[in-house]
Amino acid sequence: MSGHDFHPLIKQLLDGDITLADLPAELHAEGEAALRLLAAVDRTDVSMPAVTWRVMAALERRRRRFLPWLLAPALAIAAALVIWLRPGTPPPSAALVTVRFVLVAPEARQVSLAGTFNQWDPQATPLVRAGTTGVWTATLTLPAGQHQYAFVVDGARWVPDPGAPAVDDGFGRRNSVLTL
Amino acid sequence: MRPRSQAADGEIVRAVLAGDRERYAQLVERYRDRYARYATRMLGSMDAAEDAVQDAFVRAYDQLAQCKDPDKFVGWFFLILRNRCFAERRRNRTSASLEAADGVAAEDRTEGVVETAERRRALQLALLELTPDQREVFVLKHVEGLSYTEIAERLSTSVPSLKMRMHRAYDKLRDELRDHT
Repeated sequence: MSGHDFHPLIKQLLDGDITLADLPAELHAEGEAALRLLAAVDRTDVSMPAVTWRVMAALERRRRRFLPWLLAPALAIAAALVIWLRPGTPPPSAALVTVRFVLVAPEARQVSLAGTFNQWDPQATPLVRAGTTGVWTATLTLPAGQHQYAFVVDGARWVPDPGAPAVDDGFGRRNSVLTL
Repeated sequence: MRPRSQAADGEIVRAVLAGDRERYAQLVERYRDRYARYATRMLGSMDAAEDAVQDAFVRAYDQLAQCKDPDKFVGWFFLILRNRCFAERRRNRTSASLEAADGVAAEDRTEGVVETAERRRALQLALLELTPDQREVFVLKHVEGLSYTEIAERLSTSVPSLKMRMHRAYDKLRDELRDHT
């Protein structure tokens, strides 16, 4: 026991096994100081509301690699259509190309696109539901070249385009690839 | 039939294992805050704690089939979170100190609470000087309010061994807080 150790009775006091009244008089001051230490313990509640969606989004991202087999039938028939403004004319290197993205997701409340063309911002490019058929579309004008993207369903479910090739992004996720 | 929100842990675990993966969110919702404070006090940083809690839930999901008693999911999950917190402290021992101090420094500084706030800040920093084993038993007993018996059950260890750990923690804290007690 070093000179800075608590007396064994003080440790019992801190453990709650005895009270200040049980201490001999010469240990009272030390006992009170020890209890002040415990009184400084921060017992404030901590809440982490974001953890729920962060966990579910992380699970969803990892699941995306298996989506062709696991997606609900409503999502499994999704496709992306590419419409060239000038069919038959190859675009110059700096050309812009209009692309129509389509996803069939009748049960989705909202669908958006996240990709290299919008800094993977899932709120930047919403798709619009066409009628009551569950077809969601967005038409974008993108520079010629290669783009990677994914659909984001209901703000949390990242869905690769089953109709497009996909690559691993190096973090365990699959991104769809569109070459214009 | 019970509403889904009141379903027992075991029922939810079995549903998730059967393919109803969305129900895992119920378990996360149910336990994330219960262990948020433990992780925060163990790591001394709210950000690091949030990452640890998230990661522990993802790991628990991955290993859910290995949860031998689904009705005791929470105890099993706690051990995963505990391992994650210990690993994080080994990896990143020093970075939390500043945030632990800042978090307390940002609290209410009205007259009359300054001294308490200072003491609390000093204790937070001193806790980070304990070994993870010592800090854990201190946090579980004096922050979470568990008894030695409850802690021993949770960590599968003995009460005398916990007391020895705790008493070393007291001495170390006294040493660290010489100017504050």
